[in-house]
Amino acid sequence: MKEKLEEIKTKGLEKIETAKTLAELEEVRKELTGKKSELSAILKSMKTLSPEEKKSIGMQSTEIKKTFENKLQLKEEEIIENTSVLKEPIDLTLPGKKVSGGALHPITQMKYDLNDAFLSLGFEVYSEDDISSEKYAFDNLNFAKNHPARQSMDTYWLEGTEDKEGAEKLCLRPHLTGASVRYLLKHGAPARFIYPGEVYRNETTDARHERAFFQYEALIVDKDISFSSGIVMIQTILEKVFGRKIKTRMREGFFPFTEPGYEIDMECLVCGGKGCKVCNHNGWIEVMPGGVIHPNVLRSANLDPDVWTGFFINIGLDRLVMMRYGVDDVRLFRNADLRFLKQFK
Amino acid sequence: MRVSLNLIRKYVDLPKDLTDEQIAYDMTLRTVEVDEVENVGSKFHDIVVGKILEIKEHPNADKLRICMVDVGETEPLQIVCGGSNLYVGEKVVVSKIGAEVVWHGQGEPVKISKTKMRGELSYGMICASSEVYLSDFFPTENESEIVDLKDFDCKPGDSVADLFGMNDTVLVIDNKSLSNRPDLWGHYGIARELSAIYNVPLKNLPKYELDKNLPKYNVEIQDTTKCNRYVAIEIDGIDLRKSPMWMQSLLSKVGQRPINAIVDITNYVMMAVGQPLHAFDKTHVSGEKIIVRNAKENEELLLLDNNSIKLTSDDLVICDESDAMGLAGIRGGKKDSILPDTKGVLLEIANFSADTIRQTEKRFAEKTDAGIRYEKGLDTQKVEDGVNLALTLIKEIFPDSKVVKYADVYPNETKKNEIKVSEKFLDTRLGKKIPQEKIEQILTSLGYKISLENGVYNVIVPTWRSTGDVTIKDDVMGDIARILSFDSFEPNPITISFEHSVIQNDVLLERRIKEYLAFRCGFYEIFTYPWVDEKYIDISGVDKDKSLKLEMPPAPNLAYLRSSLIPAMIEAVSKNLRYYDEFRLFDLEEVYEKGDYRPSSEDEILPIQNNYLAGSIVGKDAKEIFYEAKGVIENMARYCQMEEIKLEKIEKPDWADINAYLNITKDGEIIGSLGLLSLKAMTEAKIKRTNVAMFEVNVDKFVPFASRTNEYERLPELPLVEKDLSVIVDKEITWAQIEESIKSKAKEIEFVDEYEGNQIPDGKKSITLKVKILNEGTTMTSEQINERINSILKTLNKKCGAKLRED
Repeated sequence: MKEKLEEIKTKGLEKIETAKTLAELEEVRKELTGKKSELSAILKSMKTLSPEEKKSIGMQSTEIKKTFENKLQLKEEEIIENTSVLKEPIDLTLPGKKVSGGALHPITQMKYDLNDAFLSLGFEVYSEDDISSEKYAFDNLNFAKNHPARQSMDTYWLEGTEDKEGAEKLCLRPHLTGASVRYLLKHGAPARFIYPGEVYRNETTDARHERAFFQYEALIVDKDISFSSGIVMIQTILEKVFGRKIKTRMREGFFPFTEPGYEIDMECLVCGGKGCKVCNHNGWIEVMPGGVIHPNVLRSANLDPDVWTGFFINIGLDRLVMMRYGVDDVRLFRNADLRFLKQFK
Repeated sequence: MRVSLNLIRKYVDLPKDLTDEQIAYDMTLRTVEVDEVENVGSKFHDIVVGKILEIKEHPNADKLRICMVDVGETEPLQIVCGGSNLYVGEKVVVSKIGAEVVWHGQGEPVKISKTKMRGELSYGMICASSEVYLSDFFPTENESEIVDLKDFDCKPGDSVADLFGMNDTVLVIDNKSLSNRPDLWGHYGIARELSAIYNVPLKNLPKYELDKNLPKYNVEIQDTTKCNRYVAIEIDGIDLRKSPMWMQSLLSKVGQRPINAIVDITNYVMMAVGQPLHAFDKTHVSGEKIIVRNAKENEELLLLDNNSIKLTSDDLVICDESDAMGLAGIRGGKKDSILPDTKGVLLEIANFSADTIRQTEKRFAEKTDAGIRYEKGLDTQKVEDGVNLALTLIKEIFPDSKVVKYADVYPNETKKNEIKVSEKFLDTRLGKKIPQEKIEQILTSLGYKISLENGVYNVIVPTWRSTGDVTIKDDVMGDIARILSFDSFEPNPITISFEHSVIQNDVLLERRIKEYLAFRCGFYEIFTYPWVDEKYIDISGVDKDKSLKLEMPPAPNLAYLRSSLIPAMIEAVSKNLRYYDEFRLFDLEEVYEKGDYRPSSEDEILPIQNNYLAGSIVGKDAKEIFYEAKGVIENMARYCQMEEIKLEKIEKPDWADINAYLNITKDGEIIGSLGLLSLKAMTEAKIKRTNVAMFEVNVDKFVPFASRTNEYERLPELPLVEKDLSVIVDKEITWAQIEESIKSKAKEIEFVDEYEGNQIPDGKKSITLKVKILNEGTTMTSEQINERINSILKTLNKKCGAKLRED
């Protein structure tokens, strides 16, 4: 009988060992420890044995059962650890499911990046309407009466107002700077604000020129500040937008609404300043005109130029986005072509 | 403008160790942007004088010759050449191997290498003028005519660049960059800037001692508001000789074609000092009198090309006793040409008002080198620079010439501006203290006269900066800052104060809406033009009467400005259908309509301008995209943290389907619409085999919450019981009726599905809804649940005729 039990044990352990799945193991469990198992049969047949034998066989059977149960437990853990939830093999090279589409326009993305940077510096956001008047677009900004920008060849005037003057002559705004006086008239000084927007000029369009384009202007008005503060602001902003320090230079520039005016160039990011087609082989890209606000502009905003001063910077958003991504045709920004827009996540 | 550094160096001794690129860079930072540094000499490398020693027939080509050419080296070169004017002993221009020439005068330069031409070796090229940048000196029609240097004192091997004065660097400056600086339109003005930048002295211009007792030339200025000064000088002893090579060379480099000595001198003076001059053949001036007057209305001026232009009474003309001879300050007419028989000239060195010149130029759409300078506003004193330099040059080139008559009519003199600038102003605005000596050095070298008294500089502006350029103290500060270079100032930090923290909910709302649409709803953002194609305005049925128009639109069909974003959206949809059949777009921009809107001051009345949002969903299943669009609007207020907006059917927008539309309302006011694009609009826009759901809303009517307003509800202690019910109702029964009827009986009711089909009787539809019920206090038994559900079904049956679907 002892030998029989030893055989049951050896065979049983073997069966446990060969089980591959939880289902197989369950079968083995029934076979080895269930009511119809050989072990149960032996226990049932013990009646005929002597008490000593009963005792010894009983102990042996109990021990074998325990061994089986331990082994089954270990085997179950082993199988669970090595079993996939998938019944079938999986092709890991198949593409994942698409996430829902949709994106902000690359210009808007850049605008929000700039907004985040400027808001962290305590700037307010202001927006002027698209349609303005000669008074706010030119007169207030110290443009000479005969300045060529006032002509129909440059500015889109509204039909029926082209022969009028000043506040009565209306146009699609040719630049954002007019908004500065509107803001200052409303809020006074000191002030620091940004005013992004779209501007319109009567131009022949090509890959580098558009009739409608995006600008982003910032203005600080305060007492006793020097124009050189402007460069700190510009460097901070460029660093925020491009994620690293960008080399800049400030050079002489002329605008009716500034004195002095300057142009801010950044190193060409396409060639790293070595000179390439994009930067016309001089390593620098003109990105921001700027300058000290002209006393006449402050006067238009009812501010005393002997008390207040300040500076503008104006960022060409289209050009900046073109730099960011290497876009080679400015007209793509407005032709609503999804083949283009889907590239900007 | 093209600036020759050789000419600049005549006026100022630049520091020796400066590269040309550095000069250009320093000027760019401080004076005006230099677009290009053109090394003229480098174009002529390996191009030398050669002498033809021998000419042989080419065995395989009729038009080619084989020349042995002495180029100053030990052995002559064999060169195959097709020139039509070859002869033994001829001095020619030879491009040796390695030189770069412009093939037949066209395209990019090509490098010369040893080649076989029809079997014969050629070690270089004998060049025509257009191939080696010499057409200004050797104009020729015939491209096979090579340059013959017979009139030049030169020997084989001499550098051609040296022979033509081409070892020079030209700085190229965009004329537009010079608009505000009339003084920089001559080399002398640029030299003055460089003298200030490098703190080196500016040399004086030549003086010519003119005998003031000469007989007077008769000059009459009729309109003294338009002509500020007119100097007339009559000179005898002139002929049509060529100007000396150094002058031709300079003119060629700065972009003026040499013509003859007299014309060249006038151009040279203009390039050198920025003062335009004009030379008349003295015999062409009838009556020996110059009259400066306004043209008569419709008076005609005959031009050199025998065309004539019609003048207006606003145009200023230069006349003799009988005719108009030229448009003042812009161009001459046929009558004043310098011809081969010219023996004497009348020189005009004048000053005209900038406005007059600009307006006439505009009228005739013509800009000339003289006009471009006058329109910037020249000072009247520059006339003297012109007179002195011109007479010096005439005496040098025509030693036998003689000034015989002279007049200087001078009604208006440019006054020097005087400006007071305090040291304190400069210190604050510049952000640092600049030593007095430095300020004096900068301003003095720019031509200012300054004196300091009690902390205030009295600044006298030179005449050439007094015609509008420098008028206020800020201008003076600007001159100091730029010459020091803006980059040289230590940036002063800008302070940020806590009071200035900014939260602008309206600005943030715009961003939330855009991000909601793009990131949550799968829309792509587009931008469109403010002018819209009339075709799409008509398609969308927008009322054109309220729209504004442009005076000069980009194209005739683009005259209307948008009063709705729908037309441009339809256009965008139809364009994208070429590549995609399912997509979503949105556009958030301003629209305009006639009205009265005064944002800034009472005198300025603008049209009404509002920010609108338009969106479109393109897809095949019309109902599905309609509900998708409806979902986008329904959920917008909650996700974008703004006050509620509603959807109600009130008034059909013109572009929408006759059945499928809703209006977007806020506090009872219609602020937008939502719907399927009508079949009519789709047909006209050629949108086929798909459907479009659209919405448009005035986002200026949206009211953002001041803060997030999510409400917290305690989590229920007992589980909600959910039950899906499918009921059959008449087709006319709406979801709103169903929802309303059982609202009070359930905690939540959700729409799951609507179905019509085979298993459903005609005129009926199946609606599946999920009801969630909750018992306060204790868990419900299944009997209680059934009782509640039955009660709901009973109500549905009573109010909506609904029957539980049994399948």
